[in-house]
Amino acid sequence: MLASTANKDTFNVATVSDQEIRMTRVFDAPRALVYEAMTKPEHVKRWWGNLGDGYSVSVCEIDLRVGGKWRFVNKHPQGEAEFYGEYRELDMPGRIVFTEIFAPFPDSVSVVTSTLVEEGGKTRFTAIVKYPSLEVRDMVLATGMEKGAAISYDRLEDLVAELARS
Amino acid sequence: MTTTDPLSATFAALADPTRRAILARLASGDCSVGELAAPFDMSMPAISKHLRVLENAGLVSRSREAQRRPCHLEAAPLKDIVDWAEHYRSRWEGRFDRLDDYLKELTTNTTNATNTTNTKEKPNARKHRK
Repeated sequence: MLASTANKDTFNVATVSDQEIRMTRVFDAPRALVYEAMTKPEHVKRWWGNLGDGYSVSVCEIDLRVGGKWRFVNKHPQGEAEFYGEYRELDMPGRIVFTEIFAPFPDSVSVVTSTLVEEGGKTRFTAIVKYPSLEVRDMVLATGMEKGAAISYDRLEDLVAELARS
Repeated sequence: MTTTDPLSATFAALADPTRRAILARLASGDCSVGELAAPFDMSMPAISKHLRVLENAGLVSRSREAQRRPCHLEAAPLKDIVDWAEHYRSRWEGRFDRLDDYLKELTTNTTNATNTTNTKEKPNARKHRK
């Protein structure tokens, strides 16, 4: 596929405040289609969960209306992670605001403001994620979500490896 | 702003290298505060302070019965953190590349079957048309 190589370099992650990061990416498709691919479970499962052996999305529920809930379960080789939240604002197909909660920590709420802007036949996706604190934001960055920007959480990695064995 | 939510408390606890070293030590078995303090150039009160942060975050527990009150690693919240990290770890870029490919697939099908100006009205039809 040539499409991804054309827009690959457009992926960018930046910190915008102590609690926020901004993620951007340009897609080679009209806005309505990007919106659909990002908000319909049958599409989301195709690109989001298809990460290779041991990875899958076992649950992908999206009730796309203000006050509606969403829930994803992300299976990975060591276990699974459940995320859920609620749609707060829907201004289709340009803007969605929703909350995101990691199931084991229901009192820690992140807020995602996602916008799609058409730029000459392509679509620029921007997500501003407001985490509960600087600590959570930094941990997100420490996971290396932005390639090459990983901060090493030295002993934690070893510890986790030990736990996985025990 | 004070951060009291549990995820922030856990990450704040993990953000310190001494505390991560304490957890790594406890991963190989329970030990007393004195044993934990031994490898560090730190006073017992300083180590105790780090332990309290770890206890508050639910990452360490201490026995109430035994006189030496050994510290114990609570693995469950750490496992949660591993699951959380796996969600983010180096994957977003790859995910977006796949979405780009997938959109290409969808637009190709659309162009073959229908005019792109119709995409808004019949978003679902596209993927069934080959």
